[in-house]
Amino acid sequence: MLLVVAWIFVPSAPAADKITIYSGRSERLIKPVLDAFTASTGIQVELLSSGTTELVNRLKAEGERTSADLLITNDAGSLELARTAGLLRPLNMREIERAIPAQFRAPDNAWVGLSGRFWIVVYNTTMVKPDQVKSLLDLADPKWKDKIAIPNSGSEYLQAGVSVIRATHGEEKTKQFLQGLKTNADSQVYQKSSQIVDAVAKGQVALGIVNHYYVYRHLASQPTAPIAVLMPDQQEGGMGAIMNVAGVGIIKSTKHLDSAKLLVEFLVAQAGQKLFADLDKEYPLHADVKADPALVDRKSFRAALVPLTKLAELREPTLTLIEQVGLR
Amino acid sequence: MNTIRRQLTSPLQLFALATAGIILLPLGYVTSQALSADPAVWSRLWATRIPELLFNTVSLAASVAVITLFLGVSTAWLVTRVEFPGRRLWEGALVLPLAMPTYVLAYVYSYILGFGGPVEHVWQLLAGPQARIFSPHSYWGATLVMALDTFPFVYLLSRSALLSMNVSFEEVARASGVSRLSTLWRVTLPLMRPSIAAGVALVILYVVSDFGAVSLLRYQTLTYAVFQQMTGRSDNTAASILSLLLVGLALIFLITERWFRQKSRFYQTTGRYRAPQRQRYGWIGTLAVTSYLGLIVGAAFALPAALLIQWSLSPEAQATLDSRFFGFVWNSGVLAASAATGGVLIGLPLAYLASRRPTFLNLSCLQAAYAGYVLPGPVAALAVLVLFTKLAPMFYGSVLILIVAYVIHFLPAGLQSLEPALQQITPNLEEVARTLGFGMRGTWRRVTLPLVRNGFVVAWVLMFLQTMKELPATLLLRPVGFDTLAIRVWMEASEEYFQLAAPSALLIVVLSLPALALLVSKDWRAA
Repeated sequence: MLLVVAWIFVPSAPAADKITIYSGRSERLIKPVLDAFTASTGIQVELLSSGTTELVNRLKAEGERTSADLLITNDAGSLELARTAGLLRPLNMREIERAIPAQFRAPDNAWVGLSGRFWIVVYNTTMVKPDQVKSLLDLADPKWKDKIAIPNSGSEYLQAGVSVIRATHGEEKTKQFLQGLKTNADSQVYQKSSQIVDAVAKGQVALGIVNHYYVYRHLASQPTAPIAVLMPDQQEGGMGAIMNVAGVGIIKSTKHLDSAKLLVEFLVAQAGQKLFADLDKEYPLHADVKADPALVDRKSFRAALVPLTKLAELREPTLTLIEQVGLR
Repeated sequence: MNTIRRQLTSPLQLFALATAGIILLPLGYVTSQALSADPAVWSRLWATRIPELLFNTVSLAASVAVITLFLGVSTAWLVTRVEFPGRRLWEGALVLPLAMPTYVLAYVYSYILGFGGPVEHVWQLLAGPQARIFSPHSYWGATLVMALDTFPFVYLLSRSALLSMNVSFEEVARASGVSRLSTLWRVTLPLMRPSIAAGVALVILYVVSDFGAVSLLRYQTLTYAVFQQMTGRSDNTAASILSLLLVGLALIFLITERWFRQKSRFYQTTGRYRAPQRQRYGWIGTLAVTSYLGLIVGAAFALPAALLIQWSLSPEAQATLDSRFFGFVWNSGVLAASAATGGVLIGLPLAYLASRRPTFLNLSCLQAAYAGYVLPGPVAALAVLVLFTKLAPMFYGSVLILIVAYVIHFLPAGLQSLEPALQQITPNLEEVARTLGFGMRGTWRRVTLPLVRNGFVVAWVLMFLQTMKELPATLLLRPVGFDTLAIRVWMEASEEYFQLAAPSALLIVVLSLPALALLVSKDWRAA
C-alpha cells in the first residue's frame, strides 16, 4: 500500500547519468539512434514521444520545472519558436560548427539541424505518369479531384511547406492553391505520412504529399509497391523542393548539461549522422556522410531558397491562411 | 435536532463545495482563455470551422444515441424478460464491448471495411472489380463504431432498472387487463425512463468527448478539432474557444436529461427483490433472439477480439513482448484502480447531498462535477497541467497529476450510476432508521450503503474501464518514461501498424474483463 502511495505522489528522482528527451519524432525513427548512444556512453535516455508543437506547448507550461534536457523535433520552425520563447540554451561547441553548415542551425546554435527532409509528391506508378506533375501547385488542378491525399493542417511540415510557398508565390496564389488542394483531397486528410504513402501504394489515391523518407521506408519493407518519388518544382525558374530539417536543442534549465552536450555531439558526428541516414532514409547534413543510395541524389535537385530560421515568423500568418481556407 | 444535523452535515457540505470548486477550475481556465481571445479569432472560427464542426458533432451524437437506445433497451429487455437457452451467457456477453476501446474498434473496422479490406474484397467478387462499399472514414463509419462500443451503457442501466423494478406495478397492469405490449409501453418503459436517460446521457457525453475513434476515422468533431488546434498551434486560444462551445453543447443536453429525470422520480417501495416472470419462446423465437444478440456481440466484440488475437500471434507482434511490457500493464492497472477509487470517494458526497438535500447549492455542486466530462480530454489535461505548476508544483511530474485529470474527466460516468442508486431508495427508509435509534453512521452502514452498493460497484467499474482506455489526457500529461497500454496502442495504431498495436490492445481488453465480471456478477445485484 505504502509503495503504491509513494509511486503516485513522488516524482521519480532524476539520476545523474540519465537524460530526458522530449521528442516530436516518432519513437520508431529516433529510438534506435538513442539506443546506440546509450550503448556507446552508458548514459540512459528517457524518451517522451509526442507531437512537436504539443511538446513545445508543454515545455512552455512547465517552464523551469520541466524534467526535459533536450528537445528533438521534425521541424526547424518549431525549434526556432522554442528558441524565441527562451526555452533553449545557446551552445558554443566547435564540434557542431564543424559538422553542420550554418544554414541548418540557429544563429546562436540554440538548435541544430540533424537531418534534411524534403516535401515531395509520391505517386502510384500505375495511375500517374511522372511528367503529369511539375510543381506542387499543379496538385490544385481540378483533374486531380478525389485523387490526392494530404496531411492534416496540424502537421508542422505542412505548415512549414505552406509558409515556403507563401514566401515564394505570395498570399493570393497560395490561397488558390490551398483551396484547390482542399477540394481535391476532400476527406483524404491523414494524421500520419505513413498512412498517405500506404493509401497511394494501395491505389486508394493517385498522389500524395509527404516527406520523402516515408516513401523509401515503405519501399524498404515492401519493395514491389507501385510507388515512386517525384521531386517537384525543379523546372526552369521554379521554386525548388521544400526543405525542412529535424533537429535538436538543449533545454535552458537542464541539470545534465554535460550529458546533453555529449548526445548532441554524438548526433552531429559522422557516426550519428550515418545512423540517421541509414535508419531513417533522411539526408544527412554532415558534408562527409552519404545519403542512402536508394534516395534521389541530393546533388541532382534544388531546394527552395527560404531560410529555415524564417519558418517560425512565417508560421502565424500561414496558420491564419490555412484556417481561412478551412483546411482540416 | 436541527443544529445537530447542521453540525454533522457541514463537513460534508464543505467537502462537496471544495470538490466542485476544484473540478470547476479547469473549466474556469478554459473559459477565461476563450473569453479573453481576440474577437478576430472568434469571427474567423465562426466563418470557417464552427458550423461544420457543430453539425458533425451533433449529428454523430444524435445518430449514436438513437441506435444505442434501440440496441441497449431491446437487449436488456430480452435478457431479463425472455427465457431462452444461453440467456445467462448473453447477459454477460452484452457487456463485453465495454472492454474494447473505441479507437481499437475504429481501427479494426478501418481494416475490415477499408479500402482493399476483406469486406470490399468479397463485395468486388460479387459486384465487379470497380465496386466500392461505404468508407469507414465517414459519418456512418463513426456512427457504427461508436454505437457498437457504447450501447452497453444503455443496456446495463436498463437491465439493472428492469431487474430492480418492483414487478408488482406490471402485474397490476396485466391483472387489470392491459395487453403485454401496452404494459411495456405504459408501465415498464416509463418506469425505466430515468435509467434509460442516464444511459443515453452517458453515451452522448462519451461520443462528444471521444478523441481516439474520430481521429482514426478522420471524422471531424469538436473534440478532434480541439486536439488538432492544441497540438498544431503554439497558441491555445482557438482550442479554448472550440472547447467552450463543446461545453455549451453538453450543458444544453445535460439540462434536458436532468429535466427528463426530474419529471419522473420513483421510489422502490421495498428493498426486497423478486425475479419477474420470463416469457418462453418457441424455437423460431429462440433462433431469432439468438441471432440478433449474436450479430450485435459478434460485431462489437467477438470479431474484433478474434482479429486482435490473430494479429497478436504474428511474429512482429511477438517481438514487442519484452520486459517493458510488464511496466505498461502495471501502470495501466494501478492508474485505473486509483482513479476509480478516487472517483467513487469524491463522487459519493456530491450525489448524496444532491439527492437528499436538493438545494440549489447542492444541485449546483453536482452539476459542476459534470464539467470535467464535457471538457475535452486534451483541454482538461492542459488546464490541469497549468494549475498544478501554479498551485501545487511539488506534485508536478508525478502520477498524481494524471489521476486528478482522470477523476475530473470520468467522475460523471460514476455519478450517472451513483445518482440513480441513491434516488431509488426513499429517504423514508433512512428517516425510519434514525427514529429507530440508529445514529448517522449506523444508518449509513445498515441501511444506505447496502442499498446503494449496486451503484457503487457499477460506478467504480465504469471509471476503471474508462481510465484504462483513456487517451488524450494521458498523451499530454504522462510523466516521462511512463507509458500505458493505451499509449502503446495509440502509437502503433495511428500509423496503421495493426499487428504491433494488437498485443497492448488485447491486454487492455483482458485486464478489463475481471472488472466487467464484477459488473455482471450476481451477488451485488439482489442486495
